[in-house]
Amino acid sequence: MNNNSLIVAENIGYKINENKLFHRMSFNINRGEALHIKGSNGSGKSTLIRIILGITQPVKGVIENKSTKEICYLGHKNALKSYLTLEDNINLMQLNNNMMLNDYLEKLELKKYKDVTVSNLSFGQQKKLALLRVFLNNSDLIILDEPFVGLDDNAHLELTTFLNNELEKNKSVIFTSHIPCNINSKIIEIPQ
Amino acid sequence: MFRLELLKLRKKTRSWLGPILVFWLIMLAYPLTVEFLQDKLEIGFFSVLWIAILISMMLATEDIFTEDFNDGSLEQTLIKNLSFSISIVTKIFTYWLLIGLPISILSFIFSLGTTEDFLLSISIFPLAIISSYIFLNLFVLGNALSLNKGSVLGALVTMPLALPVLIVLGKGLIAIQLNINFLSFIFLLLGSLSIIIVVIPVVVSYVIKAHLE
Repeated sequence: MNNNSLIVAENIGYKINENKLFHRMSFNINRGEALHIKGSNGSGKSTLIRIILGITQPVKGVIENKSTKEICYLGHKNALKSYLTLEDNINLMQLNNNMMLNDYLEKLELKKYKDVTVSNLSFGQQKKLALLRVFLNNSDLIILDEPFVGLDDNAHLELTTFLNNELEKNKSVIFTSHIPCNINSKIIEIPQ
Repeated sequence: MFRLELLKLRKKTRSWLGPILVFWLIMLAYPLTVEFLQDKLEIGFFSVLWIAILISMMLATEDIFTEDFNDGSLEQTLIKNLSFSISIVTKIFTYWLLIGLPISILSFIFSLGTTEDFLLSISIFPLAIISSYIFLNLFVLGNALSLNKGSVLGALVTMPLALPVLIVLGKGLIAIQLNINFLSFIFLLLGSLSIIIVVIPVVVSYVIKAHLE
C-alpha cells in the first residue's frame, strides 16, 4: 500500500449460498491506473464491482476506498427514465449546466434527439446517453460494467480515447469488458 | 433533489393522477350507492373518507421505488455522497405534495358538499393533511419491504399500523361534531407524524440497501 493508492482490497471473498464466487482476492489501484476485471459469465465480475462501490458487502476481507469524491459508475442498468425526454434525463443526471455537454451531444450524435422520449431511442443511443454521466464526470474514480456493449465504432473510439485521457489526468478506471479495447490497464481474472 | 423528484413524478401522470381519481370516484360513488336521505349521508361519510384516503395513499406508493430499483437509479443514489434517508424523505414529500395534498383539498370539498358545514369541513382539512402523510409513510415502508415482489399487496403488510391512526381520526371527528376541543387529536397525530417522518426513511433506507445487496 502507498499514498498513491485509491482502492485497496485485501483477501476479498464472496459467496452466494454455498457457491463461492471468488475468495482471497487482493488488488491495489493507484491514481492514474486502470484495472480490467476479466472472467467468464457468472464468475462474479459485477459482484466485485458492487463490492468496490460499497453496495454489496464482501463475506470476507476488507476493501478501502480512499477517493474523497463521488464515484462515477455506469453498470448494466442505465438509470435512465424511459418516459422522459433525452433533455429531461440530462437534467435528472444534473449535467445540464456542464460546459462540455453540447460538445458530447454533438460527438455522440444525440443533439437532434433532445426532445425525443428515451423509450423511442435505440439501445445504442440510450447507452450513449447514459455514458454522458461518464464523459461529464467530476470524479477521480470511474467504474464501468461492460461499457462498450451496444456502442458503434465511433462511440467505442470516443470512450476509449476519453478513458485514456482521464488516466493521464491521474484519474483511475475500473472496468469489465468482453469486447476488446485499447486501454492500458492492469488485469485481474476471476477464475470460474 | 426535490426539483428532480418533482420532474419525475410530474411526467408519470398515471402515478399521481391514478390515486386522486380513485379517491374522487370512491367519494363520488358513496352517495350513489347508499339509500340514505340527504341529511343522513354524513353518518357514514367520514368513515368512507378516511378509508378512501387510506386506499389512495396505498395506491400512490405502488411504484414509488420499483422503477428506480429496476432501472438502476437507486444504485446511483446510494453511491452519491448524500444521505440516502434524506433522498427518501424528499421522495415521500414529493408524492405527498402531488397526491396527498390534492386529496386533502378534495376531502374538504366533499365534506363541505355532504355536510354543508363549513366549520366542520375546515376542521377535516388538517386531519386529512396529517393522516395522508402518515398513511403515505406507512405504505412506503410496506412497499420497500416488498420491493422485489413489485405488488401493491406488499403495502398491506403495514396496513395494521394504520389502524390506530384511523381510530384517532374517528375520535377526532366525534370531538369536532360534539364541539369538544379537537386540537388534542391534531397534536396527537402531529406527534405521531413527527416520529414517523424521522424513523420510516431511516428504516426504509436500510431495507432498500438490503434489497440492493
